Amino acid sequence: MSNIDRRTLVKGSLAAMMAGAAMSRGALAQSSEPILLGVSGPLTGPNAQYGTQWKQGFDLALDEIQAAGGVNGRKLAYSFEDSQSDPRQSVAIAQKFVSDPRIVMELGDFSSTASMAASPIYQRGGLVQFGFTNSHPDFTKGGDFMWSTSVSQADEQPLLAQYAVRRLGLKKLAVLHLNTDWGRTSRDYFVKAAKEYGAEVAVTEGYIAEERDFRSTLVRVRDANPDGLILISYYSDGALIARQARQVGLKQMICAASSVYSPKFIELGGEAVEDVHLGTRYFPEDPRPEVQKFITGFKKKYNGLEPDAFNAYAYDAMNMAAAIVKIGGTDRRAIRDAFTKVRDVSSVIFGSAAFDVESRRVRGAMNAELVVRKGQFALWDGKPT
Amino acid sequence: MSSWLDYTINGLIVGNVYALVAVGLALIFGVSRLINFAQGSIYLVGAYIGWVAVVQLHTPLPLTIIVVAVAAALVGLIIERFGLRPLQNSVRIAPLLATIGISFVLDQLVMLTFSPNPRALPSQLPDVRFQVGGGTIGPLDLLIAGVGLTSALLLFVFLRYSKLGWAVRATAQDRDAAMQMGVDVNRVNQAVFGIAAALGGVSGLLVGMYYNQIDTAMSLQATLKGVVAEVVGGAGNVPGAVIGSLLLGLVESYGVAVFGTSYRNLFAFLLLVVVLVLRPNGLFASARQAPPEPLTGTFIAPSRPVRIPRWALLIALGGFAILPLLPASFYVLQTLINAWLLGMLALSLTLVAGTIGQVSLGHAALLAIGAYTSALLSLTFSVPVGLAIIGGGLMSAALGTALISPSFRLRGHYVSIATLAIGEIVSLVILNWESVTRGPIGVSGIPPLSLFGYELISPTSIYWFSFAVMVVLALLQARLLGSHLGRSFRAIRDDDIAARAYGLSLNRYKSLAFIFGGFAAGVSGGIAAHLYSYINHETFNTQQSILALTVVILGGLGNVVGAVVGSVALVGLPELFRIAAEYRILIYGIVLLLLVRFRPQGLLGTI
Repeated sequence: MSNIDRRTLVKGSLAAMMAGAAMSRGALAQSSEPILLGVSGPLTGPNAQYGTQWKQGFDLALDEIQAAGGVNGRKLAYSFEDSQSDPRQSVAIAQKFVSDPRIVMELGDFSSTASMAASPIYQRGGLVQFGFTNSHPDFTKGGDFMWSTSVSQADEQPLLAQYAVRRLGLKKLAVLHLNTDWGRTSRDYFVKAAKEYGAEVAVTEGYIAEERDFRSTLVRVRDANPDGLILISYYSDGALIARQARQVGLKQMICAASSVYSPKFIELGGEAVEDVHLGTRYFPEDPRPEVQKFITGFKKKYNGLEPDAFNAYAYDAMNMAAAIVKIGGTDRRAIRDAFTKVRDVSSVIFGSAAFDVESRRVRGAMNAELVVRKGQFALWDGKPT
Repeated sequence: MSSWLDYTINGLIVGNVYALVAVGLALIFGVSRLINFAQGSIYLVGAYIGWVAVVQLHTPLPLTIIVVAVAAALVGLIIERFGLRPLQNSVRIAPLLATIGISFVLDQLVMLTFSPNPRALPSQLPDVRFQVGGGTIGPLDLLIAGVGLTSALLLFVFLRYSKLGWAVRATAQDRDAAMQMGVDVNRVNQAVFGIAAALGGVSGLLVGMYYNQIDTAMSLQATLKGVVAEVVGGAGNVPGAVIGSLLLGLVESYGVAVFGTSYRNLFAFLLLVVVLVLRPNGLFASARQAPPEPLTGTFIAPSRPVRIPRWALLIALGGFAILPLLPASFYVLQTLINAWLLGMLALSLTLVAGTIGQVSLGHAALLAIGAYTSALLSLTFSVPVGLAIIGGGLMSAALGTALISPSFRLRGHYVSIATLAIGEIVSLVILNWESVTRGPIGVSGIPPLSLFGYELISPTSIYWFSFAVMVVLALLQARLLGSHLGRSFRAIRDDDIAARAYGLSLNRYKSLAFIFGGFAAGVSGGIAAHLYSYINHETFNTQQSILALTVVILGGLGNVVGAVVGSVALVGLPELFRIAAEYRILIYGIVLLLLVRFRPQGLLGTI
């Protein structure tokens, strides 16, 4: 009896050991597979530069996440599909991601056209579409799987208006804006806020993204006789406008939206962007440790290259994704629900970030008031220029 | 009043910038009757070579200019020798497409080498400014004007008074006759390409310095403006190109003055259409110049269409129809949905470009009209989606035909330029007509596809729906081509003078073709709108028009099955090369080049 017992015992424990081994092998295999995020964005085509900047930000964040032991003991990785920011390609990519069980969440796309065309597929497929550059007011209205860390322009533009009107004392404004969904929405919020602060908006001019020549536009601006120019631009067109404004003899104060914040703005604008005022969501000399960690890490990884705002968005987005996956695990639905639970993710742009569950956008952007002095961005010291 | 002086000066300054590109284009058109869509890419290459010289080698300005000119000329010679010379005896459309392919390859190579981030290209001239009117002019403005005018003048003298110049003009007039008179036509071509490329490169350098900014996306815009300026001036006429450029600059500047900045490009393209309609050869074409395309049908490669047995077609049809029942992933289905939508557009284009001979480079406009009509009908007026899509098709047919009809009297390249302009105009009108199109914000929340009250939201049902629509349109078109009407269409394509002599009314037949084609394209746009749920003015862009043209050439002009095969191939290829990420467009460009080199009549041949 004891004999039998012992035999069964041995057999049983052997079996248990085998099973245990098999299980741990399975678990091992599973944990060695990274948790995969899908990225849909432009690597070729006219917006290719932004895809490249995303990658730099993502890769830096991933290095740090991996070094800290990954997410829930597993590595985090992404699969970047080139959409050229073209809706035809972003919908195909959406189907690809939705039907790939390894993908737990999607990031991107860059433009509203490409992102919002793919939204119905992500919504129906139950995969989170995390658009971190999608400021189009309707983006998060696509469904409860659409989330964004792109600060609503409804929050940002009044801060710029406050800077220009209240702090710099500009009373009569000329607004030049990129004629896209982003530029247009921003302009409307800005104009509304500026009027509330008591300024007059004398002229608004929308230009298309490919535009290079602004001389005639600036004559219109001059004839409106404003005491300040407001640029709702990206850094490349912002620099062009500033240069040409100085060339045609406009000496007015220039204020720009945070989107011009990039070392490239100064490189491309040269002396013309001296004394340009801008609000920004992140500033390298911001003493907060997460900002300093991002900048030193970035420069170290990319041979001294200065990061800019798009690098920071991507870096933050990846960290945010990691924080969310940490809560939600690998289940797509649980990941969506994790957006409502995530709190205090340390980020470059938002300080400690959380989401507004109603609008499905991030809460609490940082805003620093900067000015370009001696070819460098500096915190504005409150003295008029 | 002083503002008007400023607008005039600004217009002339930017006109100068356009002239730098337009002169090179005009020179090449003058000799090879070819619109060189790669000129913008040479300009891009010149800008980046200039950047290397200025920023890394610190060359002084005169040396920079020489370095850029020589390097760009070399690029031009390579393009001529390996890209275009092999296509000499090929159909006219082959070199045109080849230049598009070359531009993809060049742009992409520059982007891979230098990254797509914009760079600063500092001006090497002192930054002094002279007060003129309310504004100022700098030395670089003067240098650009100097280069534009001097090169035009030198070229004029060269063409009129030098022996090689005579050879160039003789070759332009009649290539065969020139050859028989002992002119080395290849050498002439080489010289022209070298000169034009050197000019293009230097213009990239100067314009880059002017804006202190270069980026890899600047080539298409340069080509577009250059082509407009050149055609306005009179294609092939070098001084005309300069005057056309200045005129273009002025019209844009005055347009901004009167209507505001967002209308700027609208006026550029309207100017082009108006000039083409009033003076089809441009403002300064000499009266003695031979008509640009003495015979029609020049775009068509003579070939025998590949006969596909009926059973093979039925098997393919059946295979695609039951595909969703097989274990095919949604990704494959979605990719094929894109192919069917592109197929409808290609059917439309193959009818107008292949069957009746009106090459269109602005076909995406028809998609946009259909998409907006269908989206707005269903959103604003709650029209059922199925009917709204048909409404989109009808609107594209009507509006598209009306817009394109002024170009019916144009020939050859001019038709493609006019349609290119009309495509841009439609896109800009959508951007600016806010009360109807919602302007830059676009139309969002478009209801999903539905039919008789059933929503089609699964990829499977959308697949079947779009496939069925495409097959019906294809069958109708095949029936049309086999009919008396189809034969009349081809008669017009092959010889419009003979067709007219037999009593065919060209305008009416061309209209009929555009009505049918417009309907197919509009339906495609309508379905896309409901599929994406969001559209804006950039959803259907010039790239889409060029893609459609490539599909049609790939399949074989006028060939219904070819349009579908081409769509599947060109939607599928980029997806296959997805793994190649950054190299995708490069591969696409090379495939295009190989195709026009080895099979200009398309895979299935022309019907």
